[in-house]
Amino acid sequence: MVTPGVESYIRQKFAEHAGLTEEQIFVDDVTLAVVISRSPRMTNSIDLMEAFARTANALRKDHGVRVRLPALPLDTPTSTVLKVFIEEFERQKKETAA
Amino acid sequence: MSIAEAETALNRAAQRAAAPAGPPAIITDLYDAVTRRGMSLVDVTWEQQRLHESRRWSVVEMLADVDLDALTPIDRNLVWNAGRAELTTKPGADRLERQAEAECRRWQEKNPAVAAIMEACGTWSRYWNEEEAHHETVFNRLADLSGMEPISDETFIAFRQVFPDDDMLRTLMLLAISEITAAVNYGQCQHVVKDPGLRRIFKQVAADEIQHRNYFIAFAKALVDSGEYHAKDAFAVAHLFLREDGELQGSAREQKEDRGTHVNWWDHLDTAETDYRPEALEKKEQLICGALKKITGIEVNSREEVEDTWMDLIGS
Repeated sequence: MVTPGVESYIRQKFAEHAGLTEEQIFVDDVTLAVVISRSPRMTNSIDLMEAFARTANALRKDHGVRVRLPALPLDTPTSTVLKVFIEEFERQKKETAA
Repeated sequence: MSIAEAETALNRAAQRAAAPAGPPAIITDLYDAVTRRGMSLVDVTWEQQRLHESRRWSVVEMLADVDLDALTPIDRNLVWNAGRAELTTKPGADRLERQAEAECRRWQEKNPAVAAIMEACGTWSRYWNEEEAHHETVFNRLADLSGMEPISDETFIAFRQVFPDDDMLRTLMLLAISEITAAVNYGQCQHVVKDPGLRRIFKQVAADEIQHRNYFIAFAKALVDSGEYHAKDAFAVAHLFLREDGELQGSAREQKEDRGTHVNWWDHLDTAETDYRPEALEKKEQLICGALKKITGIEVNSREEVEDTWMDLIGS
């Protein structure tokens, strides 16, 4: 079961760090390469990595769970990224609770 | 001599004293040198020139000492890969020169010390470019002479694509890691090859790459010391390489990015039938952590600590 509110929290925080709206990132299920090209704050994959890390730090602060994301290729669609993020969150949450 | 002339002479003498005496060396505390010690760009360039001259060697002479008939299939494969990899250093150096020049102009009014560091870096790029020309030609000529698959003009041009610009600290950190990777690889090659002449070439090139790494570390440290560049960016690049399935895995990764804009040499190593890959990942990890310590003053000892520190530095 997915913790209520976490998905929308991740979407909101990632969009905030990318300098884009949630619609620009998630509506058409664009790839990470497209996110970089659309974002006014990103030049390359290091900026993308940083936006994910800031989102993970926010999750840690507000939900107490530390998420480590794997390296994701730039042709990964944002729906997959979101799925990986949530799965990692739930896995870490379980481990923290155990 | 008038009082004004005497003062000018004294000032010149004081400036000369700012330049270090003794054997040529990289100025490892460049920010301090250009601010507190008052080193001019002429002084800095003199040091670069002295060091460059002291380290010269001849490709023609080195090649003459290689016994081509004694080279094994592994030797030839290592040489062939090294030659292809070295093709990408010219666009790297060209990019550095252009970017440093632009950054110098950008900082000139706002922070002249940073502008001087950028100019010192752009000036040094000419020595770097020239030294890398030795590496490229020594390996490619040797691959050619030993009958390896020729590098087509198409590949040559593809490997020459100029890298896109990025934040200067990130660029310098990436270049430092690239030099670390190359130096460790060539160090590994030294232990594998049998021919003494070829071993000497790998040793010489590895030593050059270490010297280049030291320059990149010195420029990066100067930017962090200036307070205008944040340590997090050096850590970000280190994490990009060290993370699971990161850039350090190079061509061994299952999925590599199709970059479209440029070629990263570590994506294109080909072991062919020899099945030998000069990895030494732990050594590279250790040297990257060492570079971070020198640049930022922050000590880390593993890739996990690099990630943790980077995440702490960026905040939320």
